[in-house]
Amino acid sequence: MRAASLANYFIAGCAASSLLGWVASLHPMSQKAIAFLAAGSFILWGLCWLLDFSVSGWLKISVQNLQALLLAILAMALIGGGIFLCS
Amino acid sequence: MLLKMWILSGTAIALWLTPLTALDKKVSWHKAIQGLSLCGAVACAVGAGDIARKLAEENEIEEWKTRAIKADVADEIAVSAYVSQQSRQQEAETLLASPGEDVEEARKALEAIYSNDLQEAATTTASENDASDLQLWWKVSAAEVEGKTLTWIVENILNMKGRKFTEGKARLIELKKKFGED
Repeated sequence: MRAASLANYFIAGCAASSLLGWVASLHPMSQKAIAFLAAGSFILWGLCWLLDFSVSGWLKISVQNLQALLLAILAMALIGGGIFLCS
Repeated sequence: MLLKMWILSGTAIALWLTPLTALDKKVSWHKAIQGLSLCGAVACAVGAGDIARKLAEENEIEEWKTRAIKADVADEIAVSAYVSQQSRQQEAETLLASPGEDVEEARKALEAIYSNDLQEAATTTASENDASDLQLWWKVSAAEVEGKTLTWIVENILNMKGRKFTEGKARLIELKKKFGED
């Protein structure tokens, strides 16, 4: 059941990435806003990946869990965005 | 709940993928439907995830309950065994420590305490004895019908030879009194 829960949240993340892509496709301004958001998120992601020990202590989770979370977020963004772009 | 979770999960995947692949981005109302379906997909997936999380927590609580019940039962058994052992030990010590005159009183007191258990056991023993006596009487009767002598019956059926012969004879008379009248 825990796996089903995680899978559902993963699907929600993928759909949310596609939704962000859809929002970006509405207007050039929204595209810029989403691009900035994506760039900011990617920088934050990179910082979290580099400073994993500090961030895991701050979030009070294990380093393995943090790395799994970061990889899942990356996968969600890539899959969701990729499906939107390829459709 | 489980069915709802799976339905929501399937709906989320369908709402996420179907409009993106089936509808055209250039047509305005297609695009609007895509946006709505993506919002719906996110909502369904989050709902399904929440339900699955609740179910997982409930399962975990059930497992804890089962473990707690098992531990309680094991604890109760261990405590009752310990208490029983201790009480028996105390009874034995009391019997050994008390002088000869008090032994009979202590025995009677203990008998009164455990009368229920003893009664059950006594009933069982008495009925078992009756059954074995009856079986023996049937053998004796069969031998008498065959024309066997009293000595033969005592020696071969009651298995009381030599010094025990008198005792066997008495037992035979007792059996005759007990079952012969019927």
